[in-house]
Amino acid sequence: MKKLLSIVIVALFSMQAAVVVAADAYKPKVYGKKGYVWDEMTPERVAVLKMTGDPVKGKESFRGCQGCHKADAAGVREGVYPRLTGQHTSVLVKQITEIRAGIRLNPKMLPFVEDPAISMEEIADIAAYLNSLTTVRENGKGAEDMSAKGKKLFTDNKCFTCHGKNGEGDAAKSYPMVSAQHFDYLVREMKWIRQGVRGNSNPDMVKAIAHFSQSDMEAVADYLSRLPDYRTVTAQAAAPAAK
Amino acid sequence: MKYKNKHIGMHLRTWGVLLSMLFMSAAVQADPVPLEERLLLCGGCHNPDGNSVIPENPKLAGLNAKYLQRQLEDFKAAKRSNPIMDTIIPMVDESEFKALAKYFSEQKRLAGVLAADPATPAATDAQSAPAAAGAMSVQARTELAAKGQQIYLEGVLATAAPACGGCHGEDGSGNDKFPRLNGQNQAYVIAQLTNFRSGARTNDPKGVMRAVAKRLTDEEMAAVAEYIFTLKEAE
Repeated sequence: MKKLLSIVIVALFSMQAAVVVAADAYKPKVYGKKGYVWDEMTPERVAVLKMTGDPVKGKESFRGCQGCHKADAAGVREGVYPRLTGQHTSVLVKQITEIRAGIRLNPKMLPFVEDPAISMEEIADIAAYLNSLTTVRENGKGAEDMSAKGKKLFTDNKCFTCHGKNGEGDAAKSYPMVSAQHFDYLVREMKWIRQGVRGNSNPDMVKAIAHFSQSDMEAVADYLSRLPDYRTVTAQAAAPAAK
Repeated sequence: MKYKNKHIGMHLRTWGVLLSMLFMSAAVQADPVPLEERLLLCGGCHNPDGNSVIPENPKLAGLNAKYLQRQLEDFKAAKRSNPIMDTIIPMVDESEFKALAKYFSEQKRLAGVLAADPATPAATDAQSAPAAAGAMSVQARTELAAKGQQIYLEGVLATAAPACGGCHGEDGSGNDKFPRLNGQNQAYVIAQLTNFRSGARTNDPKGVMRAVAKRLTDEEMAAVAEYIFTLKEAE
């Protein structure tokens, strides 16, 4: 009996040790660090993606976000905070979970999304809510129209491969919609992605924009900021077919 | 900001403590304490209608019941601390919290009126305004409140301080999670922001207020507190 008890105790201890090891094993790396895996499906991201978000609950949970992203989720025109309306849920889930995991470096946002500031369910709800929103407020654009130059750069550097011909991104692959985004936000993120400051840079994008000058980045950002919300484009394209 | 009439607050605090000692015997008894008696205990500092006229003490009127109950529980459990409340809370049984929170949540929150002269008549609780204002003129206070309005509604972009109105509502009416702010006393608001910033107050459930307060300067806190004092609930 004593022997059995000691076996049980030993077994319990080793189980605990195994759990501790497993927790230690998961240490996300940021871009530029050895072992960085771009677009890693972290356990939390997988779990949240499996959930069905409730936009009604998401609206309530978003209350904690609107001090920065505003009640209409359109961010600020100065680009300090991005527009989130209509963004793909997969993208929102990827970005929020990566900020929580320390893969995307965003110290300003971290205290408001880290566990337990919001739960996994709330991430799913918020993402569903934001995806359902239309944009009513005008976004920030470049000081002058550089969209011709921007469009050429966007095409020549094959940005459309991931972000789509209309800047609509790709929900299935978690590529963000970049159309109708604030100009200054787009410029800032291009810089931060290239420098690795953002933490979760896509190495392919770093390569693609490595040769961009400041004015190139501004041109692309201006072009994208002047593109309409991709959903408006899709609706227009679908309309004649429906007739 | 220095408060000229701080000693008034001190007197009333002393009163509050004395009153609470009077009723200490009542708390020991098993019978539920009548609300009227409790209002003498709480009302000494917070006013019987919950619209505290002492700038250092919070207005409880119109606070969301769940929020208020949680604060009482936190004081009881020493998760939130204040020299006065720490002496009062042992006299109140936990079973009373719900009713007290309900009572104060149902009282009408009065907005503050910026005034420089204690003799200024009328207006909701003009009495408290001069005490909090110190030597500031009405014009100076109005200008300060305007600066505060900008922070309250837009935040501070440079330091990524979120707009207060995002969570607490543009009119400061709050909800179960985020307390009502409109009309709250400036000195109390400044003290809480300072305590969140220093880590002296840690019962914001998710550390969000501590994160926000760290992004505000003393001047920004004073401005936003002035605006909150004048803020009225949307009709």
